[in-house]
Order: sequence, then structure tokens, then C-alpha cells
Amino acid sequence: MRDPDLKALTGLCAKCGTCRTVCTLYPERKAEIAVARGKVALVDAALSGEDPDAASIQEALTDCLLCGRCERACPNQVLVEEIVMKGRADLAEEIGIPAWKSVLFGKVMASPAATEAARMAAAAAERLLLAKVPTRSGLHYRFPEGIGGGRTVPELPAKGFIRSLRKREAVSGETMLFVGCVFDHVFPRVGRAAYETVKASGKTVAVFRDAACCGLPAMVSGDRRSASACVEENIRRLRAADPGEIVFPCGSCLLMFRRNVFSLIPRANPLYEDAVFVADRSVDYASFILSSGAVDRLPDPPEGERVGEIGYHDPCHLSGTLGKGPQARELLSRAVGDAFGEMAGADRCCGYGGTFNARDYPTSSRIGENKVSAAARGGTKVVSTACSGCILQMRDMAARVDPSVRVVHIAELVQYAFSGEREGARRR
Amino acid sequence: MHPEALSALGNLLGDRLRSSLETRICYSYDATGNRFLPDAVAFPVDAEEVRQVVLLANRHRFPVVPRGAGSGFSGGSLPVRGGVVLSTERMDRIVAIDPVNLYAVVEPGVVTENLKEAARKAGLFYPPDPASLKFSTIGGNIAECAGGMCAVKYGVTRDYVLGLEAVLGTGETVRTGVTTAKGVVGYDLTRLLVGSEGTLGIVTRATLRLVPLPQAAATLLALFPGNRASVCAVNAIVAARITPSAMELMDRTAIDCVQAAAPVALPEGTGSALLLEVDGTVESVARETDLLEETCRAGGALAVRRASDAPGRDELWKLRRSISPALRRIAPVKLNEDIVVPRSRLADMFEFLAELAERRRVRIVNFGHAGDGNIHVNILISGTDADETRRAEGAVEEVFRRTVEMGGTISGEHGVGISKAPFLEMEVGPLGGISKAPFLEMEVGPLGVSVMKRLKGCFDPNGILNPGKIFLDEAAVRG
Repeated sequence: MRDPDLKALTGLCAKCGTCRTVCTLYPERKAEIAVARGKVALVDAALSGEDPDAASIQEALTDCLLCGRCERACPNQVLVEEIVMKGRADLAEEIGIPAWKSVLFGKVMASPAATEAARMAAAAAERLLLAKVPTRSGLHYRFPEGIGGGRTVPELPAKGFIRSLRKREAVSGETMLFVGCVFDHVFPRVGRAAYETVKASGKTVAVFRDAACCGLPAMVSGDRRSASACVEENIRRLRAADPGEIVFPCGSCLLMFRRNVFSLIPRANPLYEDAVFVADRSVDYASFILSSGAVDRLPDPPEGERVGEIGYHDPCHLSGTLGKGPQARELLSRAVGDAFGEMAGADRCCGYGGTFNARDYPTSSRIGENKVSAAARGGTKVVSTACSGCILQMRDMAARVDPSVRVVHIAELVQYAFSGEREGARRR
Repeated sequence: MHPEALSALGNLLGDRLRSSLETRICYSYDATGNRFLPDAVAFPVDAEEVRQVVLLANRHRFPVVPRGAGSGFSGGSLPVRGGVVLSTERMDRIVAIDPVNLYAVVEPGVVTENLKEAARKAGLFYPPDPASLKFSTIGGNIAECAGGMCAVKYGVTRDYVLGLEAVLGTGETVRTGVTTAKGVVGYDLTRLLVGSEGTLGIVTRATLRLVPLPQAAATLLALFPGNRASVCAVNAIVAARITPSAMELMDRTAIDCVQAAAPVALPEGTGSALLLEVDGTVESVARETDLLEETCRAGGALAVRRASDAPGRDELWKLRRSISPALRRIAPVKLNEDIVVPRSRLADMFEFLAELAERRRVRIVNFGHAGDGNIHVNILISGTDADETRRAEGAVEEVFRRTVEMGGTISGEHGVGISKAPFLEMEVGPLGGISKAPFLEMEVGPLGVSVMKRLKGCFDPNGILNPGKIFLDEAAVRG
């Protein structure tokens, strides 16, 4: 390993073991290599020339959900996420990453047209090849056990959210909505709900069209080149649009623009000032609705109706890293009143971890099943959240453990609250 | 290790034996910061597998080093002579909690906090609470006889172990102790195993005493101008006939270390802090909390903060629990000692430590269990300056000598392990023939050391279990 910054970062780890108590993966692996302390020791060993096999270190560093819980618990504030991501990037340069990831990040996700084509191909394939599974969250398709581990995926719509916008809709405005790939192509209803409710602020709202992927999947996989390509393109265009604020319905996309971007665009980069401009104006969905005045236009929520049946799952990046958990709760209380109740295990990671779900579906789903089961046992009927990965994961998990549990984005609940379609929120 | 031995272990454990370099690196450290690579790591799931591993070790003559969470401060779980690290982390069942006879039966890999929580749910209390309770394991606590914050009122791990099942160095399984409140049949093998640092046997099951859960608790943080004022307050509290469940002292450097992790407002002139906790009935806690605050203020406290709800108490405790790992931010190497002196000599010891730091030109951070007279003396060094290392080494020896002179002990809760070796190691290489005996003899005398070594021979005639610990000069097998 070569990154000169890594040594200073790993040197702070006192090997105390605090990270074991909060690690999402440790209860599954029951081995030190799963936790931050072990990964830091491996990076240290590689840096000091002890020469563990690079592919094995890459494997160990990839085996992490990047939930950030260890970093927040660490008494020495060791920057574990940065160590893991820098380590992955360093090793990706040294020994590469799997070919499918290179194609996905470098060719598909960086290009809006290629993403659209991929979505259409996937939609056709799932209709032809997969079995239908009705759930309360909408129609899903199930992979056969042998190929996709029995996972369910949502039915891909004929049209994405952005393509469904009418020609004169949302071309320019003081507020920009960064929908994100998943809410555009997979759950367009979330994109629409976010758009309509952000508009309730009374501000003019533009949807950021032809966006590249936020870059997070590429970055966490160590593919810094693809990640930089995505980020730089987005930053240039967002800066040129000169919005007052940029609203993110997805916590992971927001993290990319608020924080991770500076690892790809450091101070010496000519785009640095533009990245700062974008970061300063990037806000999470709930904070925007609360601060923009939209919340004041919400009708009063009903009292004492289905008390505590709607819960909120804390996305690791949004609530943990960016500290936006209270805002989401305040918004929910305002939108659905007594129906919102604190969910059992709300701050536990759902086990998705983006590419982690793809590489180890059995473990990812065990973590997710526990999450959804605990919520259901605690009386939560509707799990709401604000991250695209968490929604993908928990809908799949609900289909596995309790199809009666509905998983929605908080924007959908806010939209229902505005429209008065409270019953609809629970029926659909 | 001989390939034949590895292959026999692989046949026994399947994929629960790992010998890749990555896994070996991940089991090469503990909280001392030292590293020794094992030849392999075993993850047995029951007592029979532990026994089989030890039998193989006797046949092939390789060391077996039991390991809980690897959070120890004395190097007790480091494989200093290679061999197999035997991780108990997959033996983590709470087998039973008996609310009538007040005991729990657990496997060694149970995390201390998990047992405490399970007991709490049954209205019971497992008092030992090492600072690492959220991740340290019961097996590790027993091997090192872990103490903790509430030892001043409740005692240490030893006081809660009723009985044990352990695999001896011979591969025999012994059951010791009782499940009753009393028992005096024969020698107390349970007490002998507790604190033996995995050199006599590997605990595979433990019967632990529980007590009724106190109704209420409250925590106070009192800030004083200096260590002497804090110590005087401790003595005044004892004289006032209150037994707090914790009396923790932190010197100014320790407080400064954790300001980032657990910020606390410090009045001007703060020189030390005392963290106090009382538990009992709601009424007694309220009364004693008032009395503690009065006593502290009368003793010159600059400020007193109180908390009786769980989040507030956690916040105050975070200050204390974050100190040890946070020292890493100041210096890469810490010589971490845990001496105990009679409480009446605490103030003298603090004065001596201040004088010593100045005279030897080393940085010393002190904190610990003032109620027990137990001070964590941490000498912080760079590890790269030979002269500084020599000065620190001399300081440690002086601390030990003064401690024994005062009628104290050189280790209250960390154990001997190899913790006094790292700075010597810098000069002479990895533990090559370093004798730990002088420090040990200083306290227990040559005959004491000799009896201990003879006992070791009875339990582990081939020197299989955790070689290179306690008596660093013993002849032992190498992997």
C-alpha cells in the first residue's frame, strides 16, 4: 500500500476494542477481521512492509458496510471510513477491481443515457425471467435461489421520474432537487413525492436533469477515477445552475456532496471552490421541508389515530454521519402526528451497504431481516426512511420476513399528509 | 508450528482454524499496543473442542494462548512465543440465570455488558465493571481478575466467581467451586484459577454470583484544584460513613486528554476531578447524593455536577471511560501500570509521582479507582528516544519500589502478563531472556515465586498454556 496519509490515520488506533461493540458486521462474523481494529491492523501491517497478500486485504476492507458506527464510537476519533475507503482505492490501483464494477461505475452510472438504457434492459429482463411477488410496497420480482439468493427487486417502471416530467416542468428554479439514480429510475413515485412536497415551499423548484450518479458506489469500491468523473461533472453543472439550495431525498447522495467530495476534489483542485459552493447549499429533504416554510402549510395531523404505527429507520450516512435524525423525526411528527412512534432498533444499520449487498447477500439479508423483524415485533407497520439503499434493502427484507410491513420514503408520507390521503398511505 | 500440528488442528476444527497471515495479524495485538504473530487462530465452539486443542498441543508441543476480546492492558493474551491463539468469542452463551439461588452460568466469550444486561432484566446485578465492560469478555475478566469502577463497594471479579469449569494444561477438564453461597471443601482451586492469566487452565464455563439490582443510582462529578484535594475528599467521604459504588479520580492531564470525546466545562484552576456514584434505595441515593455534594464542597470542590437519569450518568461516565484509549493521542507508547497503595497513602503517592515526573523528565498521567487506592500510572513516551525510554523504565521501577514500601501491590487489576516488558524489548529484542522475576519477587518474595512456579508445573507440566507470561524467564515451548 502506498497512500502516505494512511499511516497517520491508522496510528491513532489504540486497539482498545470499542469498535467491536458497535460493529454491524461483527455479530455475523464473530472474528476480529470484521471490525475496525482488525482492518486498521491489516492496513498498518501492509504499510510497514509486513506484506500480507494485497487481495486478502482488499477482501477484508471490502467486507465492511461503511455504516460508520465504529468511527462515531471511537474514543480516539479514528477516521475508520476514510481508512477503509483510502485503503480500497489504494488497492484498486494496485490490483484492480472486479470487471463488472469497472463497467458499471465507469460506463453505466457516469452516463445518464447509459443508465436509462440499463434500466430499460433490466425492466424487460425482470418481466421475462423473474417470478412476481406482490407485497404491500408494490409489485416485486423474485430471483431464483440459485442466481440471486432469492432476493426480491422492485418492478421497474416503464418510465423514470425525470423522463415522466412534462416539458415545461422544472426547468429552472431557485431550489434544485437532486433526485438520485434510484429515486429516478427505480422508485419514481418517491422522486415525484419529493418534487411535489419541495414545491409546497412556495419556491420555484428545478429538477437536476441528466445528472450523473453521485459517485458514492464507485468511490466506496475504490474506483476513484469513475467517482471523480461523476462528481466533477455534477459539481460543474450544479455550480453553473447557481441554485439557492440543493435538496437531496437520499442520504447517501447527500453525504457524497457534503463530505466525501472533498476527498476527490481536494483544496488544490481548480474545482474546489465550486465543490464548497455545492456542499454549502446541499441539504437533506427533512431539513429543507422544515426550514423552507413547506411544513407550515401541512394540515394538522389527526390525533390518536393508529398511534405509533409509523416508524423511522435511521440511514447510517444521514442520521449517523450527518446527524440529521432529529430533523426527520420532527418532520414525521408534524406530518403524521401520533401515528409516528420510535421504532425498535431505529439506529441499527439495515445491512445494505450498497455493494456489500451484492457481494454477500446472505449476510446482508440476515442483518436486514433482524432489523425488519425487530421493527415489526415492536408494532411498526410502516417503516419510513430517507435513503435509497435502505429502501431497496428493507423492501426486500419485508418481502422475506413480513410482507405486511410497508417501507416508504418520508416524502411519500408528507405528500399524503398534504393531499389528505391518509388512508391511501396505509393502503398502498 | 509443525505442519503436522496445523493439519491435525485443521482436521479437528475445519474452517474454525485460520492460519492466513491476515487472520494472524488480527489476533496479534491487544490494548497494550504490542504485537506478536500467532501461527494460527482457533475458534472453538465448546469445551470439548478446547480440550481437544490442548491435547493436540501436548502431543505436538505448541503453545495455546486463550483470548477473549483482546482488550487487556498487560499483554496476557499476546502469543509471545507463537502457537495457537484460542479465541473464545464463539463460546458466548448465557446458559442460565437462577434468580432464586442468585447465580448465572455463562460461557467464557460472553461480553461483560451482555451478562450485566441479562441479569438486569431478571432484576439482578453482576457488579464487576471494568472500563472495557462493553467489549471485554467474562473469560478474560476471570483470567485477569478484572476490577472496575465499583470495586470499592462490590469487590472485583474474584468475589463473584463461585465455580469454574476449566481445561488444564494437561487437557483434563476440572470443575471447581460451588453453586451455593458458601463452600469450604478442600483447596480453593477457583480462586487459584481466577487471575492466573490463562497459564493454569482455560475457562470453558463459569458460575457467577449475582446480587439484587439496586433500585436507584446517581452520579456526581466534582472538580477540585488538585489531586490532594480530591484524595482528601475521598477520605472525608469514607469518614462520613458513605460507601459510594465508585470513587474515580482523574488528574488534570487525564481530563484534558478526553475533552474531545467527552467535553466538560472546567472552572478556572481545575486540577483534578472526582467521579462518584452511589446506589441503593431511592431514598438512600437521594440522601447520600446530597451528603456527597456537601462533603465535596466542604473539601474545596470548585464545581459539582449531578446526574440521576441514565443518559446524564452515561455522559459523566464517558469522561472516565474514554481516558485510556485517548492517551494514544498524546504519545504512541504508554507504560501502563496499575499500582495500589493503602488509601491513607494515596496523597503521598500522588506527590511522589509528581516529583518523579519532574525529576526523571517524563510525562505521567494518573487516574483510577481512588476509593480502592488503585492508581493507573501511565508514563507516556515516544518509543523512539532511547534516553527517554531509559528514564521511563527507571521511573517505573521507582514507582514499584515505593508502592511496595508503602504496603501496596504492583498490579491491582491488570495482572503481570508482559506489560512491563515492552520498553525493555526495544533494547534487547522480542522478550529475549528478559526476567520478570525481579518485579514479581519484589512483592511476593523468592519463595512465593518458587511456589507459584511449582503450581504451574502441576496444572501445566509441559508449559503449553500461555507461555512467557507472569514468569517471563520460564523454560517454555515455542510454536
